[in-house]
Amino acid sequence: MRIVAVDPDACVACRDCEYACAFRQSGDFARSASHIRVNFYADERACVPLTCMHCEDAWCLAVCPAAAIDRDPGTGAVTIDATRCAGCKMCLLACPYGNIHFNAETGVSAKCDLCGGDPMCVRACISGALRYVDAEELADLRREVVDASLKRLLRLSKGVR
Amino acid sequence: MHVVIVGNGAAALSALESFRGHDRDSRVTLVSGEQGPAYSRVLLPYYLRRRLSRDGLFIRRADDYARLGAATEFGVRAEGVDPARRVLELADGRRLGFDRLLIATGSSPMRPPIPGLDGAGVHTLWTLDDAVRLDSVFREGARLVVLGSGFVALQAAWAARQRGLQVSVIELLDQILPRVLDPAAAQILSERLHACDVEVRTGTRAESVETDRGGRVRVSTSGGDRLPADAVIVATGARPNDQLLPECLEPDRPGIPVADTMETVVSGVYAAGDVTRGPTARGGPREIHALWPTAVEQGRVAGANLAGAGRSYGGSLSMNVTEMFDLTVASLGQFVEDEGDDVFEEHDRGGIRYMKIVTRAGVPLGAIAMGAPEGAVLLGRLRPFVRHRRALPDLPAFLAREDLDGRLAHRSAAKERTSCASLQ
Ligand SMILES: Cc1cc2nc3c(=O)[nH]c(=O)nc-3n(C[C@H](O)[C@H](O)[C@H](O)COP(=O)(O)OP(=O)(O)OC[C@H]3O[C@@H](n4cnc5c(N)ncnc54)[C@H](O)[C@@H]3O)c2cc1C
Repeated sequence: MRIVAVDPDACVACRDCEYACAFRQSGDFARSASHIRVNFYADERACVPLTCMHCEDAWCLAVCPAAAIDRDPGTGAVTIDATRCAGCKMCLLACPYGNIHFNAETGVSAKCDLCGGDPMCVRACISGALRYVDAEELADLRREVVDASLKRLLRLSKGVR
Repeated sequence: MHVVIVGNGAAALSALESFRGHDRDSRVTLVSGEQGPAYSRVLLPYYLRRRLSRDGLFIRRADDYARLGAATEFGVRAEGVDPARRVLELADGRRLGFDRLLIATGSSPMRPPIPGLDGAGVHTLWTLDDAVRLDSVFREGARLVVLGSGFVALQAAWAARQRGLQVSVIELLDQILPRVLDPAAAQILSERLHACDVEVRTGTRAESVETDRGGRVRVSTSGGDRLPADAVIVATGARPNDQLLPECLEPDRPGIPVADTMETVVSGVYAAGDVTRGPTARGGPREIHALWPTAVEQGRVAGANLAGAGRSYGGSLSMNVTEMFDLTVASLGQFVEDEGDDVFEEHDRGGIRYMKIVTRAGVPLGAIAMGAPEGAVLLGRLRPFVRHRRALPDLPAFLAREDLDGRLAHRSAAKERTSCASLQ
């Protein structure tokens, strides 16, 4: 399956992904409706877009007491059936990444559904920080990132810059 | 191999699915005292609030069991286990042989020793049948007395209030929700109940309940009052349905003790869910954590081990969340401080009415959040730290990193609805 991979180093905090997602969700540009959130840390000069990773072993899915969370057979996305969700909020507490939100208007939980396989956030991303990639490829990518930082650390510990 | 699962709730279903993840071939039979495909107890108050239809309570379809290769015996109670012959005794006289057994029988509402609780006007909110009965009791203008002030009690009270009943809550201890909230949070919720015209009597004992011939009820309290009512709901806690196999119990202690593998002291017999006394994430003595997420987790481990997968449970961490009287009320782990613990406390932070995080040597132990649902999201982010005892030395920085204020500021600007406002 493919998921939305995030490269915080490339993100420029333009928030276009949030607007694109919000528009897709609500037909409006109110960022509150967006399922992807860009956390911006002025002090650290860093920004991190956060969105559901559609965990292989999704705790929200397992725990939902209304059986409202399921995996889309086509895209592999973990999705919430708004007609089944009772609004109990157990999934909010279950997600260790804070990627499920509560829609107070409708009284149900809401999250990324990968837009049925064509995520708008990725389309709108201007910097290449978001990519819709194969989960396995992502694992390789992560390894590269980890390798690079390990090398950097090693060099630092040896006093080499 | 023949695996028998007793129960059709959170733990049983989770175990069945997990078992099939490891073993596609063995024969499985699921036995449940209640009828039909599974419904969710957690959803019963939502049905009473008319948030869900009766159909919306069911979390499995009839054909889901066949899809998972499980034969079902619905509407048949299991009465006992013969551990030597490895036989489950059913109420209709049949005997079901098993190689491995899972006891996932849940718990039942406790009946405190108050005279008169067997009267016709006295109800519980535990099963689908209970909820359907209560649905016809919930008539606008009727008077309801709720004994107890736990999650079930207050959700029943809220549903009743939303349906236009006059509601009184009687709690023996000095605060409501004693197991889920600290006194400060309980105070905020009490005020909300009061604003919604729910009468709350803490520090009060119900002495007796009388039902007259017309079906009307009177509750006598330790305060010397006699409260007239059309119905009483007893919700003073639950006790495990642990009598199937007395051999696996400890003397005078409720709950079937289980190892990290969810196996009982009887080899090949496992238990999961509300019925167990299990390991906790904190370590220390085993506890009964009668909560839905715990039942799901334990069921998973038990199911895998029924198939011989050799899994070990990391222990339960209590987590509670619900909406009551339009406040999201969430708590996690150990939220009442011991001596030497540090407490981070805040009131009225952008829609979060109250937030408390207890830490010991920089490690968060537990938390409470009340008000906006973003509080529950925050507790979700804290949960891995609590579970894995990971230090979080700078809490304000953590909250900033989580962009809590940003989230609160941008949360959907849905008007601050209150259920009581909509009643007037
Ligand atoms: C009104 C209400 C609201 C709740 N809200 C929440 C909440 O918001 N959050 C939360 O975490 N928890 C909540 N709970 C608790 C939660 O429902 C339980 O923790 C959970 O259902 C436990 O799962 P279980 O599988 O152990 O037991 P159960 O779901 O109770 O299932 C037990 C099963 O065993 C069957 N059974 C019992 N005895 C026998 C027998 N002798 N023979 C055959 N079958 C038998 C029963 O019929 C049932 O199918 C709530 C409970 C109630 C009643």
